[in-house]
Amino acid sequence: MYLLEHDAKTLLASHGIAVPAGVMVTHARELASADLAPGPWVVKGQITAGGRGKAGIIRKAATREAVAEAVAAILGATVKGRTVNAVRIEQQVREVEEAYIALLLDAAAGGVRVIMCAHGGMDIEALPADQIRSAVAELDAEAIRECVREIAGAWPDAKGRALRDAGERLAEVFVAREAMLVEINPLFVHGDGSWVAGDAKLVTDDSALARQPEIRALLEHRAAAYPEAAIKLEHGFDYVVVDPEGEIGLLTTGAGLSMMLIDELRQQGLKPYNFLDIRTGGMRGDPGRLVSVLRWMTEGRKLRVLLINIFAGITDLGEFSRLLVTALRTVSQLDVPVVARLVGNGLPEARPILEAGGVHLYTDLGAAVAEVKQVLQKAPR
Amino acid sequence: MINPRIDRSTPVIVQGITGRAGRLHSRLMKEYGTNIVGGISPKTDAKEVNGVPLFPDCHAAVRATGATASVILVGAMQLLAAMTEAIEAGIRYVVTPTEGMPVHDAVKALHLTRAADAVWVGASTPGMAVPGVAKLGFLPNDALLHGPLGLMSKSGTLSYESGYRLAQRGVGQSVWVGVGGDPVKGTRYADLIPFYARDAQTEGLLIIGEIGGHEEEDFAQALIAQQFAKPVFALIAGSSAPEGVTMGHAGALVHGSHGSYAAKRAALEAAGARVYATLDDMVNGVCGVLKKH
Repeated sequence: MYLLEHDAKTLLASHGIAVPAGVMVTHARELASADLAPGPWVVKGQITAGGRGKAGIIRKAATREAVAEAVAAILGATVKGRTVNAVRIEQQVREVEEAYIALLLDAAAGGVRVIMCAHGGMDIEALPADQIRSAVAELDAEAIRECVREIAGAWPDAKGRALRDAGERLAEVFVAREAMLVEINPLFVHGDGSWVAGDAKLVTDDSALARQPEIRALLEHRAAAYPEAAIKLEHGFDYVVVDPEGEIGLLTTGAGLSMMLIDELRQQGLKPYNFLDIRTGGMRGDPGRLVSVLRWMTEGRKLRVLLINIFAGITDLGEFSRLLVTALRTVSQLDVPVVARLVGNGLPEARPILEAGGVHLYTDLGAAVAEVKQVLQKAPR
Repeated sequence: MINPRIDRSTPVIVQGITGRAGRLHSRLMKEYGTNIVGGISPKTDAKEVNGVPLFPDCHAAVRATGATASVILVGAMQLLAAMTEAIEAGIRYVVTPTEGMPVHDAVKALHLTRAADAVWVGASTPGMAVPGVAKLGFLPNDALLHGPLGLMSKSGTLSYESGYRLAQRGVGQSVWVGVGGDPVKGTRYADLIPFYARDAQTEGLLIIGEIGGHEEEDFAQALIAQQFAKPVFALIAGSSAPEGVTMGHAGALVHGSHGSYAAKRAALEAAGARVYATLDDMVNGVCGVLKKH
């Protein structure tokens, strides 16, 4: 889970990492009662994507009025297809130099890559390669600290001291919170070597949630900010709205095949609404997952057709079809044509069940997509 | 060199055989021809499942059967302990289909298997197969066909669909390895290049990739470094996935340019691979090169 900057900073602060004083606001009306530290401030739109400065959702503000203006401009803005639903208003940190530090789980090396640079504030890709220092440590707090000390030793100045101190603290967080990435960019460094985390990017491991109560609590407390992870935690499968304006609801299993189908539909100029890996193997004779998904799809204002694509290697399509027809009847408010493409185990049994349930059945994906196109052409709402 | 070419004599145990998945897949694997010699279940009094004798732990099973491979079907939080038990008992080959293994556990498991010089396929793998001979894991029979194509995949379903469509067109697989959708894993695409380069049956190599991480990029670099001479085909899912959202697989997360479709496509094309944007194009491309039999 890629944490919003505000949540990442809150979590880092709980581990003794210095961050600028800041608060999060989700509505302009909260501003009046917000407990702001003394200004000037920087108002930062909270989305889980980079390039926020370029997108205009990070703005400086010298007065409370300017803060209010920035909040009004940023809240509700759409960046990279996502609506900005929260801003963090924090104290500006001035008269500092900038550096870069990150701890990254290096999948190929099977360890933690420690990356430092005496420049910061821009994308790591934009930093001059010969000025980046990095090495891989074992996944162990002391090993990471050792690696940090060795790398930071390259800069025998205030910056080096700051990088070393920040890195040693981040090592603890990385191991204790089972992180996949912790990046502080920029790390603000004062002349005396003291430092504060200007920005914070923290990616945690969804698979470790069961033994990470702090992160689990954060997710449960603010489920709306992390809808995908919250659904996974509560329901045990993956559902992502990829385009709120999408016209095609997808009922699919398997992450790879679901992603591929979305790609192919988009290439044809079609507008899929969602990604879904329902994991038919986890349905166990219960239509509950299907009912949940169909209910969520009723939120798609422009949804006009449902496309089902299941390759049943192990799943029994007869049973799947019975559950599907039950779920479609249960969620009758999702009143759209249903096109299914099914292949594999139990297809002969599935056919009459789906026909009786009013589902158009295909075994060829191209033919099913052609039918979806036809439906979209002839039934504008 | 990792050699995934299991055969009908490779003795295999199933850890977690009394669970729902364990019962189903031990039967399916056995029916396919896999030499399942034992199951592990510490908590049951039963003597067998699907005609497979049960043992209380891996040590007992290895002593009694000489097993060298294990398919581990236990919960994600128990996976590291189960792998440790298997490796300590002398198992040389572990396949772990379980999804949701904590990533820090996976790092520990990677060191454990490397230190023992054992092969680990997974986690979150659909499994692997030598079609017509034996399979370890879930790969569906409808998609398996003996043939010339080496196949490696992160996704289960997308590889089933690909394997199935290619099989319908008469192009089967030499050795199929699902490397799995997790970011930290036992066997990565690049690890198997030396095997596929030397394997006489393999005439071409297909990787089914997806956004996130840089495994496809590492694979592309290794193709160049090792001067891999057979044709390479690639299908990469997730070109239209939003940034910052995990798309089902724990590894499928793009942040910044890290793990993006464009970076993968560019790296693979620079290594001479044929990269396709749709399943149909991929199937036609592979058939165009390999279908002469």
